[in-house]
Amino acid sequence: MTITAPLAEDTKLGPKAGGLYRHQNFATGLIVGILSAVIGWVISHALLQDSNWGSDMVVTVTLVSWVVGFNIGIGSFNAIFRWSLGHDEDHEDQLYGAGVGQGWKRYFKFCTDHKVVGTQYLVLVMVLFGVGGTLAMMIRTQLLTPNSQFMSPETYNSIVSIHGMIMIIATIIMVSGPFANFIMPIMIGAKDMAFPRLNALSFWLVVSAVPPILGSFFLGGVPAGWTTYAPLAVQAPPAMDAFAITICTFVLSVTVAGINTLVTVLTMRTKGMTPGRLPIFVWGSIIAGGLGLYAMPAFLMAQSAMITDRVVGTSFYVAMQGGTGWLYENTFWIMGHPEVYVILIPPVGALIEIASTFSRKPVFAYKVMISGIIGIAALSIMVWAHHMFTTGWAPTLADPFMLTTELISIPTGIVFLCMVGTIWRGSIWTRLPMYFLYLFLFNFIVGGITGIYLSDVPVDQYFHGNMFVTAHFHYTLLGGGMIGAAGAVSYWYPKMTGRMLNERIGKTAFWIIAAGIQITYLGQFWEGFQGMPRRVANYAQIFQHANDMSSVGAYILMTGWIVFLYAIISSWRHGVKAPANPWHAKSLEWQTSSPPPLENFLVDPVVTSDPYGYGEDDLAPQRQPQPVSAEAGSTTGGAH
Amino acid sequence: MSSEEKRDEIAAVVEPVFRGGPLWRRPAGKVLILWVPMTIIGILLALYAPRYLFPADMSVEQEAVKTTFILFTALAAPVAAVVWGIALYSIVGWRKKSGKSDTPPEDGPPIRGGTIATTIWLGTSVILVVVLLVWGMAELSSELAPQQNAMQVNVTGQQWQWTFSYPGTGVTSTKLIVPEGRQINFHVTSEDVTHGFWPVQLGVQIDANPNVTTLISATPNKLGTFDVRCSQICGLNHAYMETTGTTVTQAQFNAWLVSHGASATSVHSYAMSAK
Repeated sequence: MTITAPLAEDTKLGPKAGGLYRHQNFATGLIVGILSAVIGWVISHALLQDSNWGSDMVVTVTLVSWVVGFNIGIGSFNAIFRWSLGHDEDHEDQLYGAGVGQGWKRYFKFCTDHKVVGTQYLVLVMVLFGVGGTLAMMIRTQLLTPNSQFMSPETYNSIVSIHGMIMIIATIIMVSGPFANFIMPIMIGAKDMAFPRLNALSFWLVVSAVPPILGSFFLGGVPAGWTTYAPLAVQAPPAMDAFAITICTFVLSVTVAGINTLVTVLTMRTKGMTPGRLPIFVWGSIIAGGLGLYAMPAFLMAQSAMITDRVVGTSFYVAMQGGTGWLYENTFWIMGHPEVYVILIPPVGALIEIASTFSRKPVFAYKVMISGIIGIAALSIMVWAHHMFTTGWAPTLADPFMLTTELISIPTGIVFLCMVGTIWRGSIWTRLPMYFLYLFLFNFIVGGITGIYLSDVPVDQYFHGNMFVTAHFHYTLLGGGMIGAAGAVSYWYPKMTGRMLNERIGKTAFWIIAAGIQITYLGQFWEGFQGMPRRVANYAQIFQHANDMSSVGAYILMTGWIVFLYAIISSWRHGVKAPANPWHAKSLEWQTSSPPPLENFLVDPVVTSDPYGYGEDDLAPQRQPQPVSAEAGSTTGGAH
Repeated sequence: MSSEEKRDEIAAVVEPVFRGGPLWRRPAGKVLILWVPMTIIGILLALYAPRYLFPADMSVEQEAVKTTFILFTALAAPVAAVVWGIALYSIVGWRKKSGKSDTPPEDGPPIRGGTIATTIWLGTSVILVVVLLVWGMAELSSELAPQQNAMQVNVTGQQWQWTFSYPGTGVTSTKLIVPEGRQINFHVTSEDVTHGFWPVQLGVQIDANPNVTTLISATPNKLGTFDVRCSQICGLNHAYMETTGTTVTQAQFNAWLVSHGASATSVHSYAMSAK
């Protein structure tokens, strides 16, 4: 049974539809971006070379020119230019902009279709994880032996910094990018995001933010860790300017995406999709989006002041001229702690969907769960100074911040209650996504409990700045967040690609990853107990066993991810065709074809219940979802 | 099946969690059977693992770190065991044979929440948080309490070494020598970027910031050497910014000061000082 005939295939557009968009793609973006960077370099070099602002100003101007030029070249601002000239886009232009009739080429264009943007994000996330993972392998190789000569301390320090920041960027977008863009609008029955152009802009801003941070390796390297504390970062080589420009561009992207997510859910829900019927993943996306809107501007501010300190001689962070590094540390962590939950809440939401679908049970305590997520988000903006317990800043605030930090374990406990409550007495269907849920339950308990030690100020005075912290947040962000994202990939893969993920390879990858995480990070906990500081290129003999364990685990972990990547790529090319609803799930995204057509549904869906009505078909007929299109009413049918 | 019948059926499924049948026949009982040994293993680990994991403690503060670590682990073990117990049992007890098939198993019971379970869960976590918090605050206030015979040591970080000076005596050293049995107030500052002053086995640390003096106290209570490391990345040779510290008796300490050029009177007044 053919459920829908995708609009993309049978719509013919006129030869001029799209206007300038017809000639723009990733290549023109690169060309204009590089040209613009060269012009920026020539002008700033000529004007400023001899001034005392020197190379920092040149690097800043060049890289800002690159970001602006790339986005002009790929067409991010076409519509704005058009409107400013008094023209508007007609329907055909908009269809062209949504990628109609362009086949695979639309993935390399400024495409407004949320499904294209979601897929672009998925690929970008995998590329970024590849880069960050490679850097991680270099770090672990350096740490195989004490006094290793694999890298110089200078190279090592900059690799540590860039590994951290690339991974933070990748984890922030790993679920909000692919799934909040591709899946979330379909889940609420929308045709697209509220602001499709901003959606595409948010993606291409991230792409244009990547070359500067990688370029930092050729500009002297960032020696200050991903946190780039001042005053060390103020004195760092011009690489720090590149780093700051990456941050500022990325913050713009997250802000734009956050607004888009919020407005989409507020205004684009289909008929009957009341707040009480929203899937938890949608709740997670908007809460994370809103939290990002609160958090990320602080980072923009922190890094803008960093640029001005470095380039034009302000002294926000320079103690000798009246500034203070604590200002940076505060603004950084005002971003930094909520950001952790911007990363974690979307994967948690995805895992709740998985728990319900593969236990064949409704979500346990739906409203309590949402209150829990809101509680986490609200508390997370009041805990930032627990990263600063040992800085000496405001010692009198140690008690209040210890209180707020430990309070977070209550709503986090609710998340666990909801997950195990959903599994409780369920009919456990052990497909691949469910594996990742179990791994999350294991890893996140470890990550959460080790976080409680760190929230206790006296204990933190031993563990702060120590490999224990590194192991703790890798357990949460990788063991929790990335595992949740892997679960989301395996869950929504059929919907996004139209093919089934090869579960045999996927499960092989799963076991390697699961083992790799434990070996790597239990090794790092051991280093931490013994007293090994973070971010050191060399260490004393006593730490060698723990480091060897961690490095071997890291190689295993990388192998696991490579196998998982292989499963994703090979299934994308040769996988079995996916039915519309392979998991027999009840939320809206499964009621349309895989992949969905342009604008997602042939008939506007009408929602009459929440998507968790498992086992309630007889009990409460009003919970049965309405058919969403003439032929797509099959909620229980198998393969087509 | 009518709605009432279905409701009765659900009630029959939901209620045995708390009522009906011998406990070990019910899922709750089976989870309990998993929970008890997991909790016991967790508490045993909490009691015995730290002595092998941490370096030998050399101060009152580091002993407190170890005690807190043991307490928190013992409190966390039952919580982790609940989650892992349910997860583990669910795979064994509720996994359906159609695990690998393309069609899902029959739907589970539509349990949409449980007031009792939620209340117990929330109540337990609130109690645990209160315990953690009260413990942490008590510990912190005892650590901050000024001692009668405290002694001041100035610590200066610079890229990439530590310098310790003993005010009033004119003695400056790159090795940290402290007397046993009295509170040492470290007054920490930096000449360039932010460093992290971390005398490892003393169990305390504080950042060294330029233009600011930060304060941390430790009371060494065992003789011997300990490590002093930098816990805050500070540039190229951050990894090498370490030195050794030694805890000696007060008499040895005074002698050491004199041997480094301090006058006997200044040593006497320094040793007697209470700051």
